[in-house]
Amino acid sequence: MKRIILSCLVLASMSWAKNVPAATDALYQKECASCHFGYQPALLNASGWQKVMGSLKDHFGTDASLSQKEHDAIVTYVTQNAGNSKLTQGNTTMRISQSPYFIKEHRRIPERLIDQPEVKSLSQCAACHTKAEQGDYSERTIVIPNYGRWE
Amino acid sequence: MKKIFLMLSCSAVILLAQDFNAPMKAYMNELEKEAKAQDASFERFDAKRGESIFTSQHIGKKAQEMSCTTCHKSDLKATGLNVNTNKTIAPLAPSANAQRLTDVEEVQKWLRRNFNDVYNREGSALEKGDVLTYLINQ
Repeated sequence: MKRIILSCLVLASMSWAKNVPAATDALYQKECASCHFGYQPALLNASGWQKVMGSLKDHFGTDASLSQKEHDAIVTYVTQNAGNSKLTQGNTTMRISQSPYFIKEHRRIPERLIDQPEVKSLSQCAACHTKAEQGDYSERTIVIPNYGRWE
Repeated sequence: MKKIFLMLSCSAVILLAQDFNAPMKAYMNELEKEAKAQDASFERFDAKRGESIFTSQHIGKKAQEMSCTTCHKSDLKATGLNVNTNKTIAPLAPSANAQRLTDVEEVQKWLRRNFNDVYNREGSALEKGDVLTYLINQ
């Protein structure tokens, strides 16, 4: 019995590990998620978010500058909800895709499935993670275009 | 009778023509003053010049050739597509999207961002006024 409870707990914690709280902040949705997938704050650690928010004038090659008021409100939201789990551990950059855990989880995906127009790059979470908007990155929700389920 | 017809057709034209709301008109007046201060020969903003600003190709912030239409597309009444992120962009034409060109702060923010993206510099008052004059009529 103990063993069953234990394995249930282990399974539950494994599935939770692939979920992050949804990005529900209205200003974040408007200012960030109107141009790209609304990456949940927990996908990047606080120092990563500081780097992102400090360089919006050149935001991965485009100008995403904000008014001071919007900027301050979004800094507060993303840093207060920043990640501090294995998802973000050891990531010293401002790219979610540079987290060691992220790299490990995506290492087996063939280049051709990433390069294809439907996906373009590993930055397009929602291209394969069908419930990414809700913060659900569990394996059973993955459907890779022109490939299918990834389980 | 003729007078009534004339009045009716005049008001129809007024109703059909796209126009800025009061805060946007005030912003356009500011741009006009600025444009005049920068060039004494300035007369008025011009939709045709605005169209060429919007559709011409330039070396942008990413050191690649692009235009406003790269993402907003040539048909401004249709949905656009952000080429960097694959995210759709709601139509820019006010006739298809009543929200467009109604909020001065939003307009200023996007002019700043998108001039930098496409021209790799900010737009002048003349350029901003011209492009807004082109867009309001879409």
